[in-house]
Amino acid sequence: MNDTLQASKGTILLNKIKTFFSKPYNVILLLFGLVVTVSTIAPIVAILKDTFTIHPGTIDQHLTGMASGYTTVNYIDLFTSRMAKTNLWTPLLNTVWLAVGTCVVSILFGGVFAFLITRTNMAWRKYLSSIFIFPYIMPQWTLAVVWQNLFNSNAVTGTSNGLLASLFGINMPIWWCKGLFPSLMVLGLHYAPFAYILIGGIFRNMDANLEEAATILDTPRWKIAFRVTLPMVKPAILSTILLVFGSSMGSYPVPHYLGLTTLSTKYVSMNSKYTGEASILAIIMMVFGVVIMLMNQMSLRSRKSYTTVTGKSGQISKINLGKVGKYIIALVLVVVTFFTSIFPIVSFAFETFLPNPGDYSFLYTGDTSNLTTKWWTTDENVSENGMYGQKGILHNEMIWKAFKGTMMVSVACALLAGTIGTLIGYAVSKNRRGKWANYVYNMAFLPYLMPSIAVGAAFFILFSNQHINLFNTYTLLIITGVIKYIPFASRTSLNSMLQLSGEIEEAAIIQDVPWIKRMTRIIIPIQKSSIISGYMLPFMTCLRELSLFLLLCTQGFILSTTLDYFDEMGLYAFSSGINLILIVTILVFNTLVNKLTGASLDEGIGGN
Amino acid sequence: MKKRVMALTLSLSLVAGLLSGCGGAAETPAPESKSPDPAPVESKAPPAPVENLTAVQKIIKEAEGMTMEELAKKAIEESNGKTFFGVGNSSRGKSALPLFIDYLKTIDPNYSMEFEWQQPKNNKIFDQLTADSLKPEGTFAMTLIQDGNQIESKMVQTGILDTYIPKEWAEANGTTADAVDGYLALQTLNKVFMYNNTGSKTYDNCWDFVAEGEHGLYMDIDSEIVGKNFLYMLTADKYAGWLKEAFNALSADEQAYFQPTIKAMESEASDLGLGADGAYALAWIKLWVESYNAQTDDGPICNTLVDKSATDQFGLLVYSKLRSVEESASVSKNNINVAAYDDGYTGIGGYGYCHYLFVTDNSPLPWTACAFIAYMTCTVDGFSAWGKDMGGYSSNPTVAAGTEEQYGHSKGGMAEDGTTVEFECKNDRGYEWWTNEGKLVLEDPEYCADVAFTVGSWVEMLTKYSAG
Repeated sequence: MNDTLQASKGTILLNKIKTFFSKPYNVILLLFGLVVTVSTIAPIVAILKDTFTIHPGTIDQHLTGMASGYTTVNYIDLFTSRMAKTNLWTPLLNTVWLAVGTCVVSILFGGVFAFLITRTNMAWRKYLSSIFIFPYIMPQWTLAVVWQNLFNSNAVTGTSNGLLASLFGINMPIWWCKGLFPSLMVLGLHYAPFAYILIGGIFRNMDANLEEAATILDTPRWKIAFRVTLPMVKPAILSTILLVFGSSMGSYPVPHYLGLTTLSTKYVSMNSKYTGEASILAIIMMVFGVVIMLMNQMSLRSRKSYTTVTGKSGQISKINLGKVGKYIIALVLVVVTFFTSIFPIVSFAFETFLPNPGDYSFLYTGDTSNLTTKWWTTDENVSENGMYGQKGILHNEMIWKAFKGTMMVSVACALLAGTIGTLIGYAVSKNRRGKWANYVYNMAFLPYLMPSIAVGAAFFILFSNQHINLFNTYTLLIITGVIKYIPFASRTSLNSMLQLSGEIEEAAIIQDVPWIKRMTRIIIPIQKSSIISGYMLPFMTCLRELSLFLLLCTQGFILSTTLDYFDEMGLYAFSSGINLILIVTILVFNTLVNKLTGASLDEGIGGN
Repeated sequence: MKKRVMALTLSLSLVAGLLSGCGGAAETPAPESKSPDPAPVESKAPPAPVENLTAVQKIIKEAEGMTMEELAKKAIEESNGKTFFGVGNSSRGKSALPLFIDYLKTIDPNYSMEFEWQQPKNNKIFDQLTADSLKPEGTFAMTLIQDGNQIESKMVQTGILDTYIPKEWAEANGTTADAVDGYLALQTLNKVFMYNNTGSKTYDNCWDFVAEGEHGLYMDIDSEIVGKNFLYMLTADKYAGWLKEAFNALSADEQAYFQPTIKAMESEASDLGLGADGAYALAWIKLWVESYNAQTDDGPICNTLVDKSATDQFGLLVYSKLRSVEESASVSKNNINVAAYDDGYTGIGGYGYCHYLFVTDNSPLPWTACAFIAYMTCTVDGFSAWGKDMGGYSSNPTVAAGTEEQYGHSKGGMAEDGTTVEFECKNDRGYEWWTNEGKLVLEDPEYCADVAFTVGSWVEMLTKYSAG
């Protein structure tokens, strides 16, 4: 009588599994969850092991008297020796100050700029929007070199005079020229476009209905800004902090050029004699990454979700700056961006025509014989010609080989990281409360929060052993780049997917539209600008990435290591020429993407 | 179902793409496991009996008895149609290889060889060679490497690199391969004290470079480890003695300034086990480390010093950097003086370090590596990649003489008439002069390795000058 049809436990389990796999986002989460787990954990384990390994010819061998094996002496020596302050505590403190300062500068500059571009009627927005991203296009240390060329002076820095000292006799104080301040300014300016892209993306897609409702209720403007606008962009500000903090912390070239000792510079300088201790520094940097991720987790739990793109119509109301105001503010920004974006490019171009690196004789004399085209056109390196044994840029095989290598790595990283990140972002947004989804998202994000130099070091150790040796291969660069840059796409993808009301996809599901069609016909087109950012950011970043790849290949292998090589050697004509090549390349790609898809990095935000 | 398959396929293809990479250069198959077997650290290993030699060492032994031409034939036999991988601190290995191939073609016109020359940065050459040494057959056939200290402790004592002494090189130096106790140097490079002369300041004693308020331009000793080796070498008895002599030549007032520091260093010198004049060395090192203005490379230092705005600045930099300076309204080679060339200058004139040549102990092309090394060290053409520029001195006296004859560096600063001095600083006085009158401090790898964690740790405790 009571016999009812009862499915067996096995059938229930099978059905559950079937149901689980019937949702595409579960498949995506499962697969990429496994991939990111392995690709993130393995390098960490490798570098952790290295901190206990005895390295011949280094301090651990000296202290243990053994040429191989394992020891804890590296930890003991780093934390307790007389060198602890020099090797650990001072660099650590400098690193934290640098990261915090960079976040402040970039968010203030980039955030205000994003607001002005997207939410006001400021003049010349298209021009300003395009020009603002230039410092992010350029390798970060080239701004440091420009800073030196501008502000160094014989009287203060003990070098030859920079432009300001030689043309106007102005000697800037030492804190302006060297150390923490210029480092955080340069990095802040470099990452400001980053803040602009992330914050601007939210500003642009934000429905003004909420603000309008507040206005109708006669809420004061400041209150609207703090109670309505800021909470809505808070996720983007937090994203910016997350991304900029780790990036600036792991920056090697800027503090290196501007004379600031950080964990990154210390890692490189200690690596020859204190190899194991240097690996501990990398671990410490990674710990910062994990702590930032946990803090992000905490903020996510308390963070309210704001859907800003819905099926209903929405529009942005723009603040009127006034007939004069909109030009005055624009003019101020034109001047500022001239120095952050135009001047470096002009300076790079000019540098390639100087007879000697940093030789500004032409400016004093106006004599064109103090200019030369040799850095571009020399087609042999047999006779000296003041070329330091190099052929001119147009004929230099090393530069063009490196260019090809860079393009290959950047395109591969952008396609792989962009696609994986977008899918992860989509899948996580569909299953946001799921623990596995959160785990996958955080695990994919973790490498980005870890300083580049530490990630590079970890991958170097992981792939330099008796089983596999990938040093100086494009494979290694692509693997490392993809793992590092997935968060660019997953972050922007998640942010944009969360803005997308579920009703849009649900409408398609009711119509039985297949998943791939929903993605390609509905979701991706709506959030095109954010998704393209997810491809363009890895591409642009990869083009001029140095800290991440510094330890993974030789100079001449890719353009950034070649550029850094020439910069270190003081051959600024070559490094400036390479910079120009990079800038032109990125602009060409930006334009191509714009023409083909109608979206681009800056136009997605405020160009239109 | 369709969407599941689609999602799965898309995801799988991406995962496969990621894991397989996109095809890179110089990928190597995963080799069998082989652990390095480091030699004892305390002392240099005595020569192994022939039966204990590795395969590459046996080839080296044989090669050391061969003439250049015999070796070249072996190289042709071994490497025809193959790819030769070299790694070095100098980019010019890349220029020397095509000349070597041309030479082999004079013996066999059908000979061909591809090559790749890598120049790692930031000390990575040691990591690269160490990682490569773990494989049964390495990627790199040979290396051209600097920093005797690390070579000794990381490469030679661990058996990663082997020294090969070419027959002709040994003969030119009046010795035999078996009698050579040390590494084979391709060349000695010198870093010399130079100062900008557009002001009134002069430097006539090496102690002037560490006087009050002086901040010499110098590559950061943590960036370029050979710079640290220079400081280690100063503590050797010979060079500490030179510093003492120079100190004695100072005026009483000048001596009074340095005396307290020297006095304070006496106990340190004793603790570190240095010789009688060790305190002078430590005092000079302390004052130098606490005053030098760190730069990223010798290139920017040279660019600075030759500019007329760098009045009264000085630096310790590679001499050969002067080769590429172009004359302009504000830049001139005549804006600088090489301190050691000044009449009446007393004390050390600079530092000499070597580029050493080694065959890797798991070299895939050992005969070719030996032949290439012989070609670079025993012929003017082979050395020309370096020899065409001033400031690099071949370790082979015959090649050094031939290079001077061909390139005339001793008259490099003369006008076209050959008698008018146009740029005094460019008249390179040569290795003999530098190591005698010029008082060049020469790197000794074994000494550097011995004191790396005594004097070296002491140096690291000093507070470096920071312009910031």
